Amino acid sequence: MKKYLFLFIASLFLASAAFAADSQIWDAMRVQNILGYGQEGSYKLGQLFTMLQANYFAQVYLAVLVGVPAIFVLHYLFLGPKVFSHDGKKIYTFSLLSRIIHQIAAISFIVLIPTGFIMMFGSSFGGGSFVIMMKDLHGLSTIAFGIIVIPMFLIWLKDMFLHWDDIKWLMIVGGYLSKTKKPVPAGKFNAGQKTWYWMATLGGMIMILTGAAMYFLDFNIAMINTMTGLSQIDLLRVSALLHAVVGLGVVILFFVHIYMAVFAIKGAINSIITGYKEEEEVEYLHSSWYKKLKKQGKI
Amino acid sequence: MSSEMSRMKFYCDDDRCIECDGCTVACAEAHELPTGVSRRKVVTLNEGIEGKEFSTSVACMHCTDAPCEQVCPVDCFYIREDGIVLHDKDICIGCGYCLYACPFGAPQFPRDGAFGTKGAMDKCTMCAGGPQETNSVHERELYGQNLIAEGKVPVCAAMCSTKALIVGDAQDVANIYRARIASKGKGVQSAPYGWSKAYGN
Repeated sequence: MKKYLFLFIASLFLASAAFAADSQIWDAMRVQNILGYGQEGSYKLGQLFTMLQANYFAQVYLAVLVGVPAIFVLHYLFLGPKVFSHDGKKIYTFSLLSRIIHQIAAISFIVLIPTGFIMMFGSSFGGGSFVIMMKDLHGLSTIAFGIIVIPMFLIWLKDMFLHWDDIKWLMIVGGYLSKTKKPVPAGKFNAGQKTWYWMATLGGMIMILTGAAMYFLDFNIAMINTMTGLSQIDLLRVSALLHAVVGLGVVILFFVHIYMAVFAIKGAINSIITGYKEEEEVEYLHSSWYKKLKKQGKI
Repeated sequence: MSSEMSRMKFYCDDDRCIECDGCTVACAEAHELPTGVSRRKVVTLNEGIEGKEFSTSVACMHCTDAPCEQVCPVDCFYIREDGIVLHDKDICIGCGYCLYACPFGAPQFPRDGAFGTKGAMDKCTMCAGGPQETNSVHERELYGQNLIAEGKVPVCAAMCSTKALIVGDAQDVANIYRARIASKGKGVQSAPYGWSKAYGN
């Protein structure tokens, strides 16, 4: 954790200093970068990046952008949302601190994801100043997310480890493929929420680091090059590849998260605003946690 | 050779390049490039190894299947009929993807904004300017001189004192190189790196 923080802060400072010094890409290192492109024994990342970026990334993201919401529409029409009583008792689930942290992350994601899509489909927006503005917004909202990603990771960490309930939850896909109201095996957080947590925090950190590498481009942190054995240009190629692949996971789960909170479970979004979940919702969707709370006499 | 058939290419004969860096200086001066941007650069390989050391001049190689053009998310690249690969700086968002795709490290990013933001990409234009009106002030400011439009040879090759760096139609470049090898009676056993891809069909 400390190492990550150090790298992030160090990259901020070193980036400007490194530019004044020797370039890691266009000066003496240029020979290495040219030789590394397709030579025997090299990672051939240049070709891999070109092939994937030219033929697959934008297409796969487009399929996700259209396909995932389409699945939600079908789910909503044929299986319908889960409706729980909002008149019953409420269970305090999210502390004020966790809600503030969540809201900062939420706002940054609401900016990050559309601006990322606009960059990816930049040609459809004509490029130029509008897309540059989106790119700057993408970078600015990363700062907000970068500040809260570690606190977010820490406050929920203890509830996010794999539990036997999660396997059972995954076997029935959380009960979302059936219309019947049956208790679903899950603790305070179900397997779906846990997946999203790991993707948003660990995946999010990968997104921050790879994004920062691409943003600063010509920085000099010898430690990274020695640790990874990559030349600067290959480091950038790895960053671009990881950013696209991990980003896909983040985007898909973000869409799922929004669908669940806003549409699939009626009124579920209120719990992260007020901190209270409906008792009936907890009883069915977080049955193990509900039993535990009952046993402890908290309800 | 008819003009429609021509395909403009650079070639640097590393038997002749003496690492004088004249091409880099000529290019930077002709196009008034900012500090930190070298559209053309002389690199030395196998430095210090006797018999193996050689220097060569690299810039944008104006690839036929230009990877930069394939990966650009805003499609700012365009390839002229004569094969010169150019880009539109008013469309470029400075994302850096062309650099990751380029085998030669040609695309460069001057940092002109606050907080180290990357400006629009800059690279060798083979002295052919950009998409703006030919020889307009705007074109000159963004891309430098447009010597091709005036029927002149790009500055780097024009000033090369040993004529190591040659530029022109692919067929003519190939003929010059072939004549040099033939007159020396010796030369490379196999075609130079990337020869078939760059100069073949």
